[in-house]
Amino acid sequence: MDILRKGWQKSKTSLFYAAIFMIFVAPIIRLLVMSLKGPDGYSLQNYYILLQDARTLEAIVNTVIIALGSTVIAAVVGVLMALAVAYTNLRHKRLMEMMVLMPFIIPSYIITLSWSGLLTKRGLVNQFLESHGLAAIDMYTTGGILLVIGICNIPIVYLSVVHMLRKIPLDMEWASRACGFTIWQTLWKIDLKEALPAIMSGSLLAFLSAIDNFSVPAFLGISSGIPVLSTYIYEKAISFGPDSFPLAASLSVILSVIAITGTLIEALVIRKGGAMESIKDDYAVRIYLQKGRRRLLEWGLFLLWGLINLVLLAAMISSAFLKNYGLAMTRANLSLQHFSFVFTNTGVLSAIRNSILLAVITCVICILVGTAMAYLKVRRNSRAVALAEKCASLTYAIPGIVLALAMIFHWTEPLPGVKPGIYGTINILIIAYITRYLILQIKGSTTALLSVNPELEEAVRVSGRSKWTLWRTVMIPLLTRPVLSSAFLIFVSALTELTLSSMLASAGTKTIGLTIFNFQQAGDYSLSAAMSTVIVILILAGYSLVHFKASERKEKKEHEFVSGTRKSAVRTDAGPS
Amino acid sequence: MSLYLEHVSQQFGQTPALRDITLEIKKGEFIAILGPSGCGKTTLLRAIGGFIKPTEGTIRLDETIYSDGHTMVPVEARDLGMVFQSFALWPHMTVEEHVRFPMESKRQKHLSAEEKRRAVEQAIANMGLLPYAKRLPGELSGGQRQRVALARAIVGKPSILLMDEPLSALDAELKISMRREIQDIHSQTGATIIYVTHDQSEALAMADRIIVMKNGAIEQIGTPQEIYASPRTEFVASFVSKCNMVQGKWRDHQFHVAGSTLVYEDQAIAPVFKEKGIYPVRPEQFRLSRTGQGLAATVTNRQYNGREIQYSLRCANGWFTVYTGCEAMFQPGEEVRMILKDQEGAGR
Repeated sequence: MDILRKGWQKSKTSLFYAAIFMIFVAPIIRLLVMSLKGPDGYSLQNYYILLQDARTLEAIVNTVIIALGSTVIAAVVGVLMALAVAYTNLRHKRLMEMMVLMPFIIPSYIITLSWSGLLTKRGLVNQFLESHGLAAIDMYTTGGILLVIGICNIPIVYLSVVHMLRKIPLDMEWASRACGFTIWQTLWKIDLKEALPAIMSGSLLAFLSAIDNFSVPAFLGISSGIPVLSTYIYEKAISFGPDSFPLAASLSVILSVIAITGTLIEALVIRKGGAMESIKDDYAVRIYLQKGRRRLLEWGLFLLWGLINLVLLAAMISSAFLKNYGLAMTRANLSLQHFSFVFTNTGVLSAIRNSILLAVITCVICILVGTAMAYLKVRRNSRAVALAEKCASLTYAIPGIVLALAMIFHWTEPLPGVKPGIYGTINILIIAYITRYLILQIKGSTTALLSVNPELEEAVRVSGRSKWTLWRTVMIPLLTRPVLSSAFLIFVSALTELTLSSMLASAGTKTIGLTIFNFQQAGDYSLSAAMSTVIVILILAGYSLVHFKASERKEKKEHEFVSGTRKSAVRTDAGPS
Repeated sequence: MSLYLEHVSQQFGQTPALRDITLEIKKGEFIAILGPSGCGKTTLLRAIGGFIKPTEGTIRLDETIYSDGHTMVPVEARDLGMVFQSFALWPHMTVEEHVRFPMESKRQKHLSAEEKRRAVEQAIANMGLLPYAKRLPGELSGGQRQRVALARAIVGKPSILLMDEPLSALDAELKISMRREIQDIHSQTGATIIYVTHDQSEALAMADRIIVMKNGAIEQIGTPQEIYASPRTEFVASFVSKCNMVQGKWRDHQFHVAGSTLVYEDQAIAPVFKEKGIYPVRPEQFRLSRTGQGLAATVTNRQYNGREIQYSLRCANGWFTVYTGCEAMFQPGEEVRMILKDQEGAGR
């Protein structure tokens, strides 16, 4: 019996390893192999051909320039905003933070649309500039792409830095001031140095995200002939020449090499500081600004973020109400025709249905699998799961367009002779989304589980209750909120996804992102604006619903804390509220 | 260069943290501010340091106003050094960089590079940190971190040193040896030290004068001997010297213990106690005996710690604590007499 059970255990583990390999590792290996494939056997010929091509070099140079430039924007603005929100006596910090985080929940192609909508040739801003003898701003340039990606990535740096700044103990600043330094010198010599690892890793994430970004260069660069690697891979892959897939694969490897180089540089640069940060976030005001200066800063920041968020969205939304793109804003030119098209067109409706279906299925599977894996990792110390987590983060780290290509190569024939025929169906999208987003849920569920004291589980067991009771009465109630908050991120990402679906979707399985992209590519700017408007409203409604529910629950929880019934149940209140 | 506080008050929202504090601290004095948590002692230190602006009152160093209704000299422009409870070392700087840090500030502009270098070297050597000069705080023990914090605070030779419970993060044995080092620093630098603590033994052991605080107000200021032996308020008596409050009646200079024929002689007992009909007795002023003239009590608990025995007792007057030598042992439940040592035979 014992041997039998051991055998079953062993085969279960090897089955798990095989599945992990099949889902996360094999596609990437297939991509590498494909990049070496030529008409006569395997060689480095593809790379040779590509690097001879001036357009490839242009794409590489553009990619690096855009990635570095946008990272500088994201880092500078993100750090300054983090300092202002974490340390000064500004008022309305919650509102300010929400405005900074807007680009996080609104897909980057919608932000692109609103910028290019505001700054069209015949738009108000450019007409004003030209009438004053100034040069018009053209968003369909490298600079335009760089700016929009930079703005989209500000929240990445901001979030990474603002938490670190709050964790630096107040005493450390006071010690410096007692040594004779002003608060500004202290910020420079102490706080920014302490926060450097967070600034560096936030900037690196922004850099990787800029390399990964497909939608911004696709919206602004394809029509104006500015290649970057992600759109160049897309164009190569959909060109359907005899060597189009191998060349796209080689380009993907080049793009991945740039991404990995960034990661390695970070590891070299960051000097790991000691773990002396205070455990709790400290919200104390550290920089007192005089009333006048504070007001000035408040108004300045609200103006800036109001412009970046609201004015831009307003520009896009208003253009959705215009009969024709670029018309003047007069009553005669207004119409609801684009919205009625969006709500009646079967293609649009099926895209919305597809995206919602995809988002829900991806979410449910990620919650179940991700939480189970997190449990095995945290409580059972499972080595297999730890390895699986590394593999799953690999498919999140490589650029989306690269993953999409790998998905095609792998899943048309996952094993020699096996052709499941899922390419072209919605199933390939489901698999691709899970491959891409599972790591987010593993991480989120891990954080959630770490906040539940293992003694709580032991207490249930000691009371002689079953495993089922444990989950029903203790684990699920405690885990629901933090697990759902990371699942919400996956839901929004999957709902508005463009990169993977641009390669993997076919006629009947188009997604919301792809539909907007197609409208924009076909020149139907008003339609893409109308559809984006609907999506923004949906997202903001969903966000406020979740936010409202969460804060309501938090209040309830705090109430329970006061009455003391759950004092020992939750060690830390982890996860965003 | 004396430090003056005149009618200093601090209000946090509705709660008063400091109430009308007036005191003078002379140059080179070692002052301990003693009190339980929430008594305002740390707030007082922060007001002196300039980390917070008092709601009312004036703080000045001789004629230099540090803060009053109109001015607020920022921390960095005050002539002081500070040691924090958490040590507040910067994880990314080595020991040497910590000690050099204050010398790079505007405050030390008048010194030449050579003088600065020598000051840093001397502070590192004085605190016994030479072998660790290149280490980061994460690689140091608690005691070594404390020395770094002290070296950083004294290297600029400030005229006032502020210390906010600097020893409370250390273990018991290290505390005692660090007390000696702080006393050495005081005698070597001649700086005024303002030392906040909730540990009465630290205050008694090191300070020239102790300020006992409660609820944001000063209860008593005096030398350690005065505070310990002649408390002026009930709070000081119980907080610092752990006095037992014997109930009874004062008649002229004699105290008649309630419910007994015992009479205690007045020994400079403060008027507050006389008004309330109390005679404060410190735990070591009683001795226990099975017979004799004393308060009858029952032993409820006994804790032996090697040097002495601490007894808890119950008597008609309430709960008492008595420290005795280790010669005689009494069992819990035993009936004993508590006899006031230096007045044996006084009452009959």
